[in-house]
Order: sequence, then structure tokens, then C-alpha cells
Amino acid sequence: MGNFGYLMDGFATVLTAHHLMIMMIGVMLGILVGVLPGLGAPNGVSLLLPLTFTMEPISAIILLSCMYWGALFGGSTTSILFNIPGEPSSVATTFDGYPMAKNGQATRALTLAFMSAGIGALAGVVMITLLSGWVARFALQFSSPEFFAVYFLAFGSFIGMSDNAPAKTLVTMMLGFAFATVGMDTISGSLRLTFGIPDLIKGISFLVAVMGLFGIGELLLTTEEGLRFDGIKARVRPIDVLKTLKEMPRYGWAILRSTLIGIWMGITPAGPTAASFMSYGLARRFAKDKSKFGKGDPRGIVSPETADHSAGTSALLPMLALGVPGSATAAVMMGGLMIWGLTPGPMLFIDRPDFVWGLIASMYLGNVVAVLLVLATVPLYASILRVPFSIVGPVIVAIIFSGAYQVANSTFDMWLVLGFGILGYLFKTLDYPIAPLVLAMVLGDKAEDAFRQSMLMSNGSLTIFWSNPLVSGIMALGVLMLIWPLIAKAAGLRGLRRHTAGHQAKV
Amino acid sequence: MAELEKQFLSRKTMEMVTALLTAGAGLAICYGSWRSGIGWSEMGPEAGYFPFYVGVLIILGSLVTLLRSLFFYRHEGEVFLTMEKARSVLGFFLPLVAFMVISLLLGLYVGTALYICGAMMWQGGYRWWIAALAALAVTGLFYLVFEIGFQVPLLKGPIEGWLGIY
Amino acid sequence: MLKQITLALLAITTVPAFAFEPTRPVEFVVTSGPGGGTDNFARTVQSIIAKHKLIDAPVVVTNKGGGSGAEGFVYAAGYKGDPYKLTFGTNNEYLLPSVAAVPYAPEDLTPVATLALDEFLIWVNGQSKFGDVKSFVEAAKAKPKAIQFGGSQSKDTDQILVSTIAEVTGAEFRYIPFKGGGEAGVQLAGGHIDANVNNPNENRGQWQAGMVKPLCVFRPDRFPQSAPVHDGKGWHDIPTCAEAGLAIDSYRMPRTVWLPAGVEEDVVVFYRDVLKKVSETPEWADYVAKTSQTSQFMTGDEFTAYQAKDRETVLKVLKREGWLVK
Repeated sequence: MGNFGYLMDGFATVLTAHHLMIMMIGVMLGILVGVLPGLGAPNGVSLLLPLTFTMEPISAIILLSCMYWGALFGGSTTSILFNIPGEPSSVATTFDGYPMAKNGQATRALTLAFMSAGIGALAGVVMITLLSGWVARFALQFSSPEFFAVYFLAFGSFIGMSDNAPAKTLVTMMLGFAFATVGMDTISGSLRLTFGIPDLIKGISFLVAVMGLFGIGELLLTTEEGLRFDGIKARVRPIDVLKTLKEMPRYGWAILRSTLIGIWMGITPAGPTAASFMSYGLARRFAKDKSKFGKGDPRGIVSPETADHSAGTSALLPMLALGVPGSATAAVMMGGLMIWGLTPGPMLFIDRPDFVWGLIASMYLGNVVAVLLVLATVPLYASILRVPFSIVGPVIVAIIFSGAYQVANSTFDMWLVLGFGILGYLFKTLDYPIAPLVLAMVLGDKAEDAFRQSMLMSNGSLTIFWSNPLVSGIMALGVLMLIWPLIAKAAGLRGLRRHTAGHQAKV
Repeated sequence: MAELEKQFLSRKTMEMVTALLTAGAGLAICYGSWRSGIGWSEMGPEAGYFPFYVGVLIILGSLVTLLRSLFFYRHEGEVFLTMEKARSVLGFFLPLVAFMVISLLLGLYVGTALYICGAMMWQGGYRWWIAALAALAVTGLFYLVFEIGFQVPLLKGPIEGWLGIY
Repeated sequence: MLKQITLALLAITTVPAFAFEPTRPVEFVVTSGPGGGTDNFARTVQSIIAKHKLIDAPVVVTNKGGGSGAEGFVYAAGYKGDPYKLTFGTNNEYLLPSVAAVPYAPEDLTPVATLALDEFLIWVNGQSKFGDVKSFVEAAKAKPKAIQFGGSQSKDTDQILVSTIAEVTGAEFRYIPFKGGGEAGVQLAGGHIDANVNNPNENRGQWQAGMVKPLCVFRPDRFPQSAPVHDGKGWHDIPTCAEAGLAIDSYRMPRTVWLPAGVEEDVVVFYRDVLKKVSETPEWADYVAKTSQTSQFMTGDEFTAYQAKDRETVLKVLKREGWLVK
């Protein structure tokens, strides 16, 4: 148990008043950054970077990583309260979190989200503690074909879940792919679908699309029923937080499954966004009673949140062990490591165990601090919904448009937000599902890059996706997930009981 | 139901308009991809290969939706927006557009202050000085958080220039 | 009217301007995403300026890395004559317009200075049978297109170098573009590709662990002496490619700084002096040493001449490969 000893040393380093203080500051700044959609974790972390040049490396990384945890929590808050995902990975939380808040249960929704997020993050850290050596070697086995297979699996588990007209699902999903391809193409190095518009060179920002589709779209929908929030009738009582904590054990199975999905997606590394979508899709698919999904089902909050945070945490391992940043925020932190005089990579674990295990210890403590801080502020957030709509509505609009501008200092993005807002409103009222669009936009260009890299490697032969046990296994699982609804339907005709038994044997 | 509430837009019309809109987007995508090459070269698929078929699928999906709403329409007679709802939505949407246009001309700070002030006065029925104070408070907070706290500049217009704020 | 009064007031309050002196925040436009090589470059300069108080006005850094950096250059080109937009890049400023239909021309920006040159090396997997660049090239010649080179982006510095190696040696390679050098580094460490041409900083961690190893460096002379990195070998022990039998004397990437076109000469002089001071600080020396770059301060005619020569060499490759944008 060498790791355990190191971890204890790490705790000894981290458990000082100074470091606990830094954690609190980091988490609070992170929440602020996460709540404001235009800022986001990478921005916040790069802003603090110059401050850390004079700090001890361990204190600096604690500050930055705690800011990251805080930002993840902040992102979930706006998803639930206003249907505006502050971070891409909290999009899936809006599907059930927002309806629950709208039903007057904002406190419950926030508590569920924060608790499961905390559990997911801790599970991720435990995995890092126990399996760090093995995971790093495993992650090295992934190349472009395997990446494509993982994205394929994420798609396979999520699509086919909507009850909407298939033609409409097809249209929104394909639009998502198209939006993702705008801009510079990695493989050919040429510009695509920019139609000569200079502002499209940078591509269409995912955040801008999501702020329009979800934020503005939802506001327009809300105003159909008059200029007010439905959540206004909610009574905010701190005791609701404790009540919700007591119901957590009921979702044990969902949490376990989501943790595994999250860790898997975090180390492969497809990332937290894919993990949360996949986890939501599977939660819905394997639920006995699907009727409440999309209308405020607690499992629809717990599953994506757990997976999001366990993936976000596990994704830090490849960064430390291999020097590959799993996310934009991790990339900034890696830049920080270099400036502090540390080289991220396999030798970091051997050369600077004090730093690595101090960081891991701070991940345990930082997440606990974050959960406590956000839980304590739940009633505060939930009471925002009680402010009259004529004040909050315009403030949200102003925040969205400021955020859209800040993404790239571009006024063009403000027009885009408006356009996406109208599109979101049309799609929602006409029963077009938006989730497939978002998933396609997140994973579309990555999947395409991985596919085309694989084609380069194999000289254009598709057999590369079945060329070794790893990639074949993931592809097979993806195909299974894709056709699962058909299997379930076929089995459903023969009797529901036998089908349930069959799927448990398979999974 | 439709008799009680005056119809502003029928759902059928909106279904068709949206389907035509997405079909148009599909056509644009096909054209854009065709310009960057839609073949399958020795390097694998070209830049426009995937987007082209994505565009084709969008057109197909839109046509299906269009035909369904023309011939097999389930929502026959349904209302997309009643007069009353339309007034409510536009009552929110038009100020929003005005806010954006003002922000583009005068900067986001001035736009935000005017928008919040206006919305509170006309939609919330607050007295002008309460609305003005609230608007100033929110704008000031924006300035503190964005410009000073996180050093992410917002769009500024001529008024900030006169005041010497950059 | 009001504007004229303000202008008049400004004229009184500001010091009669012989030399440019910034009176409002200076924006550093970074043509890469957060964490990229150009980002580290710009933020290092920012921190040195802050520490030594080289500019009185505050400095704000914005990342505009979309379209391989085109986003940032187009943005800066749109601020013609604005002395408050300092753009950080590499040689992509004058290469991008040749390979992609980007809406700016290299002349839309005024060169201020080059501060450093980043190096390129040929790296192979740590377990690779190739111990030197000769056997590597021989193997590539024996089986055309069997060796897979990974690199960052397409038709960019990495692929241009691979194409040059192919041209000089007569070997044929397959090039696989990734999103960045970091990804290409991990793919090499995992043995999924055969080689890459990463900058020292992008592969240092893997070299320390022996997961990758360098074959040669495209420098005119060897790296200066430094501490050993792996297995008793340090940067100085890597042969230059020319010395190892691969006839490319030098292939490097400049770290460059630009202003929008149409700025006054005194503005260029001001920033040039600031950057000159930056390049003379111990912090700068530290950054250059840690990232194994070469500090080289070039401005004015020297920079222009370098740029012209670099462009000429690269355009030849682009023309040969048919990558020039129509």
C-alpha cells in the first residue's frame, strides 16, 4: 500500500488552515465563474494563473483545481434554475433538473444534483488513488479508432431514446453535426461551411448555441404563460435540503452505474459531457417507469450529475500521468505546472510524489468543501426564483448576451444567440428534440476527426474498427446499444419479464 | 378551444415554415460542403464528405416532416399561438431585440441599464426611480465582476468613451 | 460637439506626445487556445511585464485560437491603426493565408519582434528499433508510406517539415494530423504512430519516462549543455539532423509579436523596447531554458528578412504539395 502512505502524507500537507482557506476561495470563485455562462472554468483558471507564479506549486494547484470543482457545481446551478447550462457537461442536467425546479422543487433538485456530483467526484478520486498506475497504461492503448468507437458508444446509448417523430430527431441531430463542422477542418487544414463570413472562421461556439437554444428559447416559452416564473410558488425551506439528503440512498443503483460510466468516459478520455449524456440515456432506457423522465424525475438529475463529476475528476489522471489535458481547463493547469517548474508526465509520480499526492488529497478535501459550501447556499439560489420575473428575466437576458459576447469578443455571436433562441423556441413548441442536436455538436467533430485519422492509418479500410479486441469490444457494445430499443421491442412482444432477465445477463 | 381563443398562428403553418427553414439550411450545408470536396480520396473522406450527407439527411428529414404536416396531419386545427400568448411572448421578445440593437450601438453596459430599467417600469410596474436604481446596481455589478474582477471586457460604446472608461 | 470637447480635454490632459505611451488597457491577442504554446509565450511575457512594471497600463490577455489562429489575426487586422492590440503568434501569421481562405493578408499586421525560436526534433517511440535518423530514413525508403508521422494540424509547420524530410531524403511518409502536439506525443508514446516532429516541450515528459526518444534536432548546432533528462542523456547529446546525415540545416518556428497595420512608428518603437527589456530578464531566460527554446530577439529589417526567407522556403513546399489555396 505505497499509495496509501503517500496519500496520508498528502493529507498532512493539505490539512493546514492556509490550504483550507485557499480551497474555500477557489471553490467560491469557481461557483461564480460557473454561474456566469460567458466566463467558464478555463477563463477563470487562466485569469488566476499569473497570481500563482509566486505561490508554492501545491498551493497553486489547490487553488486552480478547487476553482474547477466550483465551476462544475456552478454550471449545474444555472441548468436547474434557468435551464441555462453554465458548462457543456451540465446540459443533460437541464432535462429533468429544470422541470423539477419549475414544479416548485428547486431546493430538492439542487440538493440532488450537488450530492450526486459530490459522490461522483469522490468516486473518481478513489479510482485515481487505487488505480493510478494501471489507468495510465490503459489510456495509452487508445488511438483514433478506439476514440471513434467510444464516441460511437456514447451516441448509441443516447439516441433512440426520444419519443418524438424520427424525422424531427434526424433533422436536429444532423443540424448539430453541421454546426460542429463549421470552421477550420483539422484533417485537411481548410475552412468549411464558412460561406465567406469572417466571423464563422472560429466555428460556432457550443456555449453560444446552448445559451440560445436553452436559455432564450426557454424564456420565450415561459412568457407564453405570462411574464412570470412558475417556480415562484415554491417555498424555500432549509429543512428540504436535509429531507432530500435522506432520499439519496434510493438512487444507489443509478449512482453506481453513473459512476462507472463516468470513470470509464473520463479515462478513455471521451470527457464529462459525453459521460453525462450517456448516463442519462442509460438511466432512462433501463428505468421500469419512463413516464416521468423529462418531467422532473430525480434519477434524471442524479445520473448525469454523478457521471459528469466522476468523469471530470478521473480526466485529471491522464493529464498528470501522461501529460495529455482532458479538457480546456486541464490544458491551462498543465501550462501552470510547466511555469511552476514541473513537467506533467509519467515521471511526475516518481519525481514529485509530494506534489501529486498532495493534489489528490486536495481533491478529496476540495470536493467535500465544495459540496458543503454549495449545499449551504441552496436555499439562497432557490430563492432567486422568487424574485419577480420582470427583474430576473431581463437580468438573465443581459447575462446571456454578455456571455455570448465574451465567448469570443464578437458581436456576431450575439446575433447567433438570438437566432438560436428563436430556433429553440420553434423546436420546443413543435416537439423537435434538442438533446440530439447538443450531443451531436459536442461529439460530432471529434468523432469525425477520429474517423478520418483512422482512415489515414488504415489506408481507407473500415476494418480498422474491428482490428483489435479493445476497439471491437467497444464497437460491439455501441452497436448493441444502438439496436437495443429494437431488441427491447421485439422482446417486449414476447413478454416483458424474460427481456429484463436477458438484459441483466448481458450487462 | 380554438373558438374561445383567437388564433394568431396555426400549428400547421408553423410546422411547414420550420420544415422549409431546416430544408433551406440543409441545402446551404450541401452547397457549402460541395465547395470543399465531397469525395473519398486516398486520404479517406474529404473535408466536405460528411457534412454533405448530413445536409442531404436534413433535407430528407425536413421533406418528411413537411409532407406529414401537409397530408397526414395529426395536429389538425391545433393552435400554435393564440392572440393572448402571442402578445405575451412578443411583449418579452421585442424588448429583448431592442436591447440587443441598443447594445450593439451603445455597448452592453448602457444597453443592460436601459433594458432592465425599461422592463421593470413597463412590465413590472415599478416606479421609475426604483427601476433606475436597480438597473444601475446590476450594471455596476456587471462592471465589477467582468471588467475588474475577471478582466473580461464587455462590448463598449461611445458613452464609455466619453466618460473615459475603456 | 461633446466629442470635440472631450477630444480637446484629452489633448490637454495627455502629455504632449513625442513618444507613444499607453493610457488604457493593452490587449494581448493570443492566436492559440488556453494552454497552447503561443498561450504560454504570451502569458509569460505578461507576467514579466507585470513583475518589472514595463507597461504602466494594465494588460489583458484574450485567447482567439479558432481556425488554427486565424480568428486572432482576423480580429487584430480589423483594428487598423489601433495601438492597443498586441498579437502573439508564430510563423502562422504569414503562412495561414497561403493554405486557407482566411480573410486577412500577412500585410494587415505590422511585425514588432521575434523573441524566440522553437525547435523541432524527430521523435520515435522509446522501444523503437531505430537508434538514429539514418536507419529510420532507410526503413522509410524500403517501404514507402509505411512509416506514420503524427503532427499538429494539417498543412501547418509539422506537416511542412515532414514533407521537407520526404523531399530531401526521397522517402515517403504517411502524415496523420492531430488537434495538437500533445495528442501526437501521446499517440507516439502509445506506439500508435511511428514518429512525430514535436517541439521539445511537447515531448519532454514522455522522454523523461523513456516512452519516446529523440533522433535528431533541426538546429544548426547542438542544444547547449543541460542536466540529463533520461538514461544519462540530455538535450546536448541529441545530434543535429545535418550531422546525423539528414541534410536539413535548420527548421525552427519563431515566436512572434504583431501590431495592426497602420500604427504610428513610435508605437512600434515603444512595444519593441518593452519586448527587448522582457527578453533581457532572468525570468525570460528561465522560460526559454525550461521549454528548450532559443532566445533570439529580432526586429526591423532583421525580422523582415527572416520572415521573407522563411516564407520563401515554405511556399516552395506548399507549391510542390499543391496546398496553396486557390
